[in-house]
Amino acid sequence: MFKSHKSWALLQLFLFIIILFPFIMMLLFSFFTGWSWPHLFPQTLNVSAWSYLFSGNAGVQEAITNSLVIAFSATAVNLLLALPAAHALAQHTFAGKKIVEALLFAPLIIPPFVAMMGLQITLIQWNLTDTRLGVTIAHLVPTFPYLLRPLYTSFTTLASEWNAQARLLGASRLQRFWYVSLPHLMPGILAGVMLSLLVSFSQYLITLLIGGGAIKTLPLILFPYITSGDLRMGATFSILFTAVTLSILFIVEWCLKRFYKHRHTVPM
Amino acid sequence: MWQNSKPYLFLLPAITMIFVLFVMGLGEGISQSLGVYSSTDKLHFAYYVQLWSDPNTWSSLKFTFKIAFLSTLSSGILGLILSVVLLRTSDQTPLLFKTLQLPLLLPHFIGAYFIVLLCMQSGFLARIAYLLGFISDPSQFPILVNDHWGLGIILTYIWKETPFIAWMLYPVLKRIQNTWWDAARLSGANRFQYMREIVLPLVFPTWLTSCFIVFAFTFSAFEIPYLLGVSYPQALPVLSYELFTSGDWEKRSLALALSLSIAFITGILGFFTYILGKRIRTQKGVGW
Repeated sequence: MFKSHKSWALLQLFLFIIILFPFIMMLLFSFFTGWSWPHLFPQTLNVSAWSYLFSGNAGVQEAITNSLVIAFSATAVNLLLALPAAHALAQHTFAGKKIVEALLFAPLIIPPFVAMMGLQITLIQWNLTDTRLGVTIAHLVPTFPYLLRPLYTSFTTLASEWNAQARLLGASRLQRFWYVSLPHLMPGILAGVMLSLLVSFSQYLITLLIGGGAIKTLPLILFPYITSGDLRMGATFSILFTAVTLSILFIVEWCLKRFYKHRHTVPM
Repeated sequence: MWQNSKPYLFLLPAITMIFVLFVMGLGEGISQSLGVYSSTDKLHFAYYVQLWSDPNTWSSLKFTFKIAFLSTLSSGILGLILSVVLLRTSDQTPLLFKTLQLPLLLPHFIGAYFIVLLCMQSGFLARIAYLLGFISDPSQFPILVNDHWGLGIILTYIWKETPFIAWMLYPVLKRIQNTWWDAARLSGANRFQYMREIVLPLVFPTWLTSCFIVFAFTFSAFEIPYLLGVSYPQALPVLSYELFTSGDWEKRSLALALSLSIAFITGILGFFTYILGKRIRTQKGVGW
């Protein structure tokens, strides 16, 4: 396929443009105004969208805090649930395994908002609606399968002989987990944590159903700008969202990689 | 005894969470859609009957199905092509390889924003059409966003799901890459035979599964039709949301009946894809 070098180069250029063009346009639209017909690009430099964003009136700080707290709490809880579950699924055979698997991955197929609509009355009775705790609990369902899947794969490739050898050498249960299992699982944990954070960051409907509009996250304040066709604020919020998401992912990756590297230097 | 119960013990926290928040939520949804809010209420199917005897629901179903089908088909084909490109960029152009991960990291609504910018009547494409002399006024440009065809919605899904399918196929292709081609060539196969006999059968199960995930998602997703849709016909999840938040208890039950119908359809589809995938795997003896 793509035999000639020229068509290959063209294809690559086309892909670069298709991916990066939206981001360039967003930057342009957040910093410039005056997109009168038939100019291709907005004409006048104007940073008022950004100053509004940081003025404290836009509720940006609250939204970022909410998004981060909800995403990290839901991911942390899910990690605690998914680690033993992935271990059991990958390393044991037992009756009913297929059913358990189907149950745990079901939120990928059956949309979680359906369950949240049903659960809403109960959550009202428990005073969990319109609270950050309630929204965090609601985010557990859509994020869990995304965290479980990479962990499951990691545990599948973790050979039980390694643990057996470590035990033979006198390593305790905790030491075996820390020195043998964890380094092997790290890439899977990393992938799962990132996916879970991403899925939580982009939730809209579930946040709205359980948070009742009282708990504002980044998607909740971004949506009105898209529906009302406010291109400039839409662009500014989209950049903010992209920046927050990408920086969180870079920080998580950096921290875990550092940890991973450090662990490799530990004499075993 | 301890050894036997160990996996169940390890699974207990996760199962409890999914059971309480997901299974019980669905269960309560079912009972509310059947008109049962307290133990004294009588179970009836009136909401389902009312819902599915309304032609409005059927046109929403058709609209939703069309969006999901066209989005899945387009991104399925484009994703297959892109996965081959990924394979080549992985050695030759690492920068592009990294860049192609970007759409995976961003949510759908960012894509929706960009489609609005690009495709609305006074948008970027319309201006290019003007500069090229095709139109003289924004009103002459076709309505591509908030249109009755759902084109803006489909375009947004293609933007997001094409890379998704490509990245699902990439690891499979990566494993086939060199070793199998050498073996096939030694046995006298040409490029075409190699593609048809080896690559396609190996890639097909993963492709089918990915396409199904995309279909189930686009069929039941709320955000994009909410942002880029029109008031008639509405996508099923949007219709359900509007009914749910109308503040009327009758309509709330209708919303749950509709949501559960959506869940039922995606559930059935999931089951068939699972069976199909399993049959393909056992027939061809392909384990991955």
